[in-house]
Amino acid sequence: MAAVKEKSKNQIKTENAFELTSLFEFSSVVNASLDLKFIFNHFLLTMMGKFLSLKGIVILENRSNIFKTEIAKGIQNDSSKTEWKISKIPKRIIFIDKEDKRRYHWIKDFHTIGITMLIPLIARDRIVGIAGITPGNRTKLTDKETLYIKSIANIAAVAIEKGLFIQELSVVNRQLDRKIQELNTLFEVGKEFNSVLEKNRLIKLLIFSVMGQIGVNRYFLCLEEDDTMNVVAEKLDRKNHADVCEYIPSLTKPMLVSAMTGKTESKWRGLLEDIGIEAVIPLQLQQQTKGLLALGEKLNKDIYTQKDLEFLSSLGNLAMISLDNVRLFNDAIEKQKMEDELIIAREIQKGLLPAILPTIPSFEIAAVNISSKQVGGDYYDVIKLSSKHFVIAIGDVSGKGTPASLLMASLQATIRALVPLGLSLSELTKRVNDLIYENTSNGRFITFFWGILDTESMIFKYVNAGHNPPMLVHVDGSLELLDKGGMILGIINSGISYAEGEVTLKKDDLLVLYTDGVNESMSSENIEFGDERLCSLVTQHRTDDAKTVLNNLVESVKLHSINAAQSDDITIVVLKTKSAKLA
Amino acid sequence: MSNFKVGIRENQNVQVVDLKGYLDAHTAPELEKIFQALIDKKNFNIVVNCRDLNYISSAGLGVFMAYIEDVRKNSGDIKLSNMSAKIYNVFDLLGFPLLYDITSDEAEAIQNFCSKK
Repeated sequence: MAAVKEKSKNQIKTENAFELTSLFEFSSVVNASLDLKFIFNHFLLTMMGKFLSLKGIVILENRSNIFKTEIAKGIQNDSSKTEWKISKIPKRIIFIDKEDKRRYHWIKDFHTIGITMLIPLIARDRIVGIAGITPGNRTKLTDKETLYIKSIANIAAVAIEKGLFIQELSVVNRQLDRKIQELNTLFEVGKEFNSVLEKNRLIKLLIFSVMGQIGVNRYFLCLEEDDTMNVVAEKLDRKNHADVCEYIPSLTKPMLVSAMTGKTESKWRGLLEDIGIEAVIPLQLQQQTKGLLALGEKLNKDIYTQKDLEFLSSLGNLAMISLDNVRLFNDAIEKQKMEDELIIAREIQKGLLPAILPTIPSFEIAAVNISSKQVGGDYYDVIKLSSKHFVIAIGDVSGKGTPASLLMASLQATIRALVPLGLSLSELTKRVNDLIYENTSNGRFITFFWGILDTESMIFKYVNAGHNPPMLVHVDGSLELLDKGGMILGIINSGISYAEGEVTLKKDDLLVLYTDGVNESMSSENIEFGDERLCSLVTQHRTDDAKTVLNNLVESVKLHSINAAQSDDITIVVLKTKSAKLA
Repeated sequence: MSNFKVGIRENQNVQVVDLKGYLDAHTAPELEKIFQALIDKKNFNIVVNCRDLNYISSAGLGVFMAYIEDVRKNSGDIKLSNMSAKIYNVFDLLGFPLLYDITSDEAEAIQNFCSKK
C-alpha cells in the first residue's frame, strides 16, 4: 500500500510538473503572438489534445450577444453555423446535460454539432468567447483538470483580448491614415482650386482628384450653366445622360444608386444603372443643387462607403465654390470690358455731335444729347451749306454701345459726303440708305429725319425715314407732324424712293425734333412719358424761346424718370423762327 | 516655379518616366501631358520610376487612373517602381496595389514587361 501510495505521489509530482511546463509553454507561445488565428488554433489544439477530443470550436463575441465562429475542427462545414446568438453565459465549465439545455436555449446548438463540453473564455471578468470540445464520453472533470483548463482558458482569453485590441488598433490606425489622406486632399485641392481661374482646368483637377482618391475611372459631371444642366466632363461606356439631367436639382444628398427606392428615384435609378453609375453626388452652392458628380464602379469592385460619399460631397462643394468664384471673376472682367467699351462708344458719339451749332439768321436753335449709361446711337447734326441753306438732321441708330456708335459715325460721314452733291433731298436719302445698307450687318437700321432750311424763302424741305415725326407748332397752337418720307435706313437696298415733305415756316413757329428716348422714357413705375404729354408740353411752351423750350422738355423728362435708370439716349433739337422774312 | 520634374528615357524598349518632387493638384497636369504624349506616339509600355518622388496627392494618382485603361487596351501597362515607404503608403491606402503592378525596382518592372512577351 505504502509503495503504491509513494509511487502515485511521484506520479502526481511528475504530472504536476508536466502540467506546469505545458501551461508555461502555452502561455509563452500564445502571448508571443499577435495573430489571433494562431492563438485560436494553438488553444484549440491544446484542449483537444488534453482531452483526446475529435471536435473543437472557438467562438468570439462579435457584438453584443452575437458570437462568431473563429475556428472549428472536426465539425462538418455544413453543420457549423457561423453566427451564434448567446446570452446569460455561466462562468463555469459546462458538460452539456438536459438541465443546461433547458436553462440555456443556445446550448442545444452546440449539442447539435456534437460538442459536449463548453469552456467560457474570460478576460478581466468579461466573457470574450466560448470554446467547445468533445472529451469522449466524460461527464465531469477532476479538480486538477478544472484548474488546468481554467488556467489555459484564462491565458488564451487574455491573449485573444490583446490580439483583438491590436487588430482594432491597426484598423483604426488605417482609418486614421485614410482620413488624414482625405483631409490632405481636401486641403490641397481647395488651395489649388482657389488659385485656378479657368473653368476647364478646375474641372480637370476635380476629376483627377476623385479618380485618384476613389479609384474610379467612369464618371460624368454636370454643371448648371445659364439655368440648364450641361454635361461638362464624362467618361462612360454607354451614354444616355440627357434624360438623367432633369432629376439633378431634386437631389440634395449624395446617394448610392442602389439605395434609390422612391417612385421618381427608381426611374432615375434605371437610367443611371444603364450607364453604369453607382454613386451620385449633388454639387451644391448655398444649399442649391447646381451640379452632379456621377461615378461608376470602383476599379477594385468595392462598394462606395458613407465616408466616400461624405468625402466626395466635401470635395465637390469645394469645387463648386471655386467654380462660382471663377464665374464671378469672369463676370467682373466682362463688366470691366463692357465699361471700357462704353467709354469708347461715348467718346465716338461725343466726337460726332456738333460741338457748336452754327448760327442761323432769323432763327434760334438749341440742341441737346444726354447719353444713357449704355450709350445708345442717337445722332443730330446742323450743317451750314451756304449763308442761306442749313441742313438739320436727327437719327437713332439701332443697338447700343460701340457698334451703334460706329454705325452712327458712318451715317455722319455719308451725310457730310453726299450733301455737297446738290441732289434733291429724296435722292440723297436714297443714296444714304444704300450706303448704310452696304455698311451694316443684318438687323441694324437707322431711323432718320433730315431737312434743308432755306432762310430766305423760309421753306423747309424734309424727308422722314421712319423717325419719330418732328412737331411743328404754329403760334395759334395748331400742330403739324413732319411725317412724309419712307422706309427706315439700312433695311432694304435700293429701289425704294423717299417722298419729300415741304413746309413754309412763319414767325414764332416752333419746330421740335427728338428721339424715342424722350417720348419713351420710363418712370420708376414703368409709365411711358408718352407722345401726348410731349405734344401738350411743346404746345404749351410755344411762345418761349428755343433754349427755354429745350430746357423745359429736358426737365420734364428728367422729372418723369426720376429714380428710374435712363435706358436710352435723349436727343432734342429745337428750332424757332424769330422773324418771318418774305421772299 | 514648380518643384516637380518629369523626365523620360528609354530602357530596353520601355519608356521610363522619372518623377521628381511633388506630384499634386498643381503639378498633375504636367504628368498628364507626358502620358498623353507617350500614348500619342504609341508608346504603351511605361514604367514610372518614383525614386525621387517626395509627395503624391490624389490628383496625382488620378492621372494614373485616367490613362491606365488607354494603355492596357493597347496591351501595354503603366508599372510603378522604386517607391519610398511614404509614397507607397499613399498608394496602399487608396487601394492601388490591387490595380497596378508596383515593383521595388525599375529592372524588375522592365523584366515584367519582357516576361509578358
